Amino acid sequence: MSFSASGLLFASLLYLILLFGIAWVTERNMLPRHWVRHPLVYTLSLGVYAGIWAVYAAIGLAAESGYGFLAYYLGISGAFLLAPVLLNPIMRIGRAYQLTSLADLFAYRYRSQWAGTLVTLCSGGAILSLLSMQIQAVSASASILAPNTSPHLISVMFSLIVVLFAMLFGARRHQEADNHPGLVLAIAFDSLVKLVALLVIGGVILFSVFDGMSGLDTWLAGNTATSLGTMSLSIDDGSWRALMLMSFAGALVLPHMYHMTFSENPSPKALAKASWGLPLYLLLLGIPVPLILWGGQELGVTLNPNFYTIGVAQALESPALTLFMYIAGLSAASGLMIVSTLALAGMVLNHVVLPLRTPKDQGDIYRWLQWVKRLLIAAIILLALLFHETLGKNLDLSILGAISLAGTLQLLPGALGVIYWPEGNRRGLIAGLIAGLVIWLVTLVLPFSHTANLLGWLNAPLVPDYDNWHIFTFVSLTANLSIFTLVSVLSSSSNEETSAAQACSMGALTRPQRRELLANSSADFVRQLAEPLGYDAGKREIARALSQLKLPNVEYRPYQLRRLRDQVEINLSGLLGPSVARDMVKRHLGFKPLARGGTAQDIRYVERAMGDYQNRLTGLAGELDNLRRHYRQTLQNLPIPACSVGEDGEILMWNQAIAELTGITADDVVGAQLRALPDHWHHLLDDFNIGEDLHRYKHRLDLKGRPHWLNLHKAALSGPDHPDGGSIILVEDQTETRLLEDELMHSERLASVGRLAAGVAHEIGNPVTGISSLAQNLRLETDNPEVLETADQIQQQTRRISTILQSLMNFARTGNHSQATLYEPVSIRRCVGESINLLSLSDQGLGIHYINDCPETLLILGDEQRLVQVFVNLLANARDASPEGGYVRVAGKEDGYSAIIEIVDQGSGIPVDQLDHVFEPFYTTKATSKGTGLGLSLVYSIIEEHYGNIQVESPADPATGLGTCMRLKLPAYEPEPENSAIRPNERF
Amino acid sequence: MYIYRLVFLLVLAIYIFSPNILDWWTSPGNVWYSPFVIWSVLIAIGFWLEWRRDPNEF
Repeated sequence: MSFSASGLLFASLLYLILLFGIAWVTERNMLPRHWVRHPLVYTLSLGVYAGIWAVYAAIGLAAESGYGFLAYYLGISGAFLLAPVLLNPIMRIGRAYQLTSLADLFAYRYRSQWAGTLVTLCSGGAILSLLSMQIQAVSASASILAPNTSPHLISVMFSLIVVLFAMLFGARRHQEADNHPGLVLAIAFDSLVKLVALLVIGGVILFSVFDGMSGLDTWLAGNTATSLGTMSLSIDDGSWRALMLMSFAGALVLPHMYHMTFSENPSPKALAKASWGLPLYLLLLGIPVPLILWGGQELGVTLNPNFYTIGVAQALESPALTLFMYIAGLSAASGLMIVSTLALAGMVLNHVVLPLRTPKDQGDIYRWLQWVKRLLIAAIILLALLFHETLGKNLDLSILGAISLAGTLQLLPGALGVIYWPEGNRRGLIAGLIAGLVIWLVTLVLPFSHTANLLGWLNAPLVPDYDNWHIFTFVSLTANLSIFTLVSVLSSSSNEETSAAQACSMGALTRPQRRELLANSSADFVRQLAEPLGYDAGKREIARALSQLKLPNVEYRPYQLRRLRDQVEINLSGLLGPSVARDMVKRHLGFKPLARGGTAQDIRYVERAMGDYQNRLTGLAGELDNLRRHYRQTLQNLPIPACSVGEDGEILMWNQAIAELTGITADDVVGAQLRALPDHWHHLLDDFNIGEDLHRYKHRLDLKGRPHWLNLHKAALSGPDHPDGGSIILVEDQTETRLLEDELMHSERLASVGRLAAGVAHEIGNPVTGISSLAQNLRLETDNPEVLETADQIQQQTRRISTILQSLMNFARTGNHSQATLYEPVSIRRCVGESINLLSLSDQGLGIHYINDCPETLLILGDEQRLVQVFVNLLANARDASPEGGYVRVAGKEDGYSAIIEIVDQGSGIPVDQLDHVFEPFYTTKATSKGTGLGLSLVYSIIEEHYGNIQVESPADPATGLGTCMRLKLPAYEPEPENSAIRPNERF
Repeated sequence: MYIYRLVFLLVLAIYIFSPNILDWWTSPGNVWYSPFVIWSVLIAIGFWLEWRRDPNEF
């Protein structure tokens, strides 16, 4: 059964167009997003690993070595089952720093462009062999189906078609989206086709050739004599181990696997699912392999066992099945070629082209990159075609695969070093890699490609051949590993490399240094980046990074600028590769030169990164994190305003109390310089921070029109556990204390005025008594009515002076609490009654009615005479304010432990603006002849002496707007009950 | 890092003894698909470990 060449070409084209259609539809967002990002799609897309191996070469190997073919699947299955410790760390680093290939990872971790370039060359060399294997498989299978067609023509046609599709797939890069969902879905479809094809042919063989499981068992029982029948492991341990190791390494070091696993990964969850999903897929691919082999043997297929899949379908005389198997092979080969070429083109672009020629004057850098990548894709596939036509076509499929995998295996030590060996350095890596690659080239590539067999010429005891290739694989890997270890241990790493190694290590955090940037704002960044990238691209990159970090359009804070710088580097790394991006950012977005030897760590940055881990920290790290959070919260909630400042004046901490005091939130200032604060705070804190004084007391600061008094304290942060400089500043708000002090001083002044007045009153009293006596005498000695009138007036005035003096002396005597011990129970009703009697004596004929409503039982502990003084003053005021015939009512009641006494009149009341002043000494609204202004002050003082308080309410009657109510509140006296002799602890 | 060293040792041991393990899987008394059965048990264990994994774990 044969097909025409044009028919095959048409079928191939149709299939590839279908593949491209799937990708195109996906890229146009015509398929639901959750389908495209589903972990199943991702897992299937990882099936690109199997390539042509699944459909053809596995059966060839099974024919030679029985179950040995499983090594190719079991190795990578092991790597995926170990994903949490092997693949997740790499994915974390790759995502954090936008490292899209293994070369990016190496260049980032080992801080060396050479490392990146070497990885690219190594992968490129190895991949040529793998691509040649795919071309060979397709051309051979096409030759089987269309025997009259030239295999060269098929190879060339196939390569050209793949070039076309790879260019279409690959260069469709979106700036915003870092992965190619269309490509992923197309490759997943590829994998599905492969799987279905193999399961179908396996099923057909099982049921139509062997008549089911029992038939197969019978057939196997009849063929136990041959190793082919039993499928026992006839491969030697060395080859098995080599294949297992190469397959294990393949998960990390094969460019297409790295690309699909890490660069196209939709979420960490998808990788977790793939950790068992890919082994399951490979298991399903593996199950039909023995069946196909046995089916081929049973049907007497004469083809090379590599092509039994097609041979069996032909023998079954089913054109549809045969074409399906061909398409499965084509799909496997084209999928692998497209992905590995894309991945390799990205590596060559970032690590060979860009370091040689950075696009400076390109109008549109993105377009330029796209075109270069397309050209590279074409160049790589054409190079693979050249390799295939000159060397590859003479080699067996399995040896082509082995050469390729042995080449990429050389990258395993470096890749594991990234996550597990921070001490490894670039010198060790490069030396080891070169040694390994040279051995690989001399012992595997050259002899097997029939170019030069150096060991054969030298008559070495061991010459490479098909049976001992694994020995040379191990020799090259051992040499690589030993030299890598030895050189790394013996040579020193740069600080930059050490910090990158720390950043890549398992569970490590980056510890960036807090240095001052040359740029003062994000706008400066745009200007600086315009130099290498052009203004438009520079502006776009900065805007993109700003929006990713959710920062405002123009940013000034140094801490945020440093974050912005890192984000720009990460973004450029995705675009131009880590080396070029790092150089560009280092050169153009530079730091100011260091003033001193070292710089402080960026505490804020580390804290933020720690915050991102949230509850992912467990064990000791989790406990330490809890402790950190506890102390942080303590500082944050400290009721004293506090902030800490770095040596360069950058604010590192700003607690809640200081945010309340200043009205500036932590988010606005942390990471900014002190000079970014509003002027008054900036002057205060900056001066104090720079100054020598550790304390500053009662600094006056006017905030919102009100004076504030602040005490400032400062302490240096440096100490044995913390070498970095900086200081912590406490700001105490002393405003309340200061106001209280002022009040106290005022009272003190008044008290001294009182004492002065008392002294003066005493001194004036004597001459006034004299004058009064003389006036008395004068009255007795004359009958002249005019003189008598004058004498009367003199006596009146001297009485008035005496009253004033008496008031002054009473006022001055207040404030003396020493008498409190002499207090006795006093009946309020009696006090009020006595006061009313006293006032009635000097009644000015106004006909005021006094009503005493105080209950007899209302008692307080106090000095009766002084309380009478209180009521005399209050009732006199009430009387003076009352209209003729008005009522003044005194009511009393007990309220819990207090006695409340209210004196209510029907007078004109006290205007609101005067209410605050009525208790001030010498404040009076009466005519000078009527009051001294000391009465209510005296009342206030006496009530305070009795531990009570006094309130004024005016108007007392809101309906009429008249009257004043003076309300006294004094501690009530409760007589001890008769049986109070019982001690408290005996009561129950 | 202790857990990683342990994993490393385990992987190395499995790797070194893998030919013997496969010999055991494919010993003549077993049915032809026994390697696949044992392999699928491993996958089931992997699935179970992934399923019960704390999403916040590293």
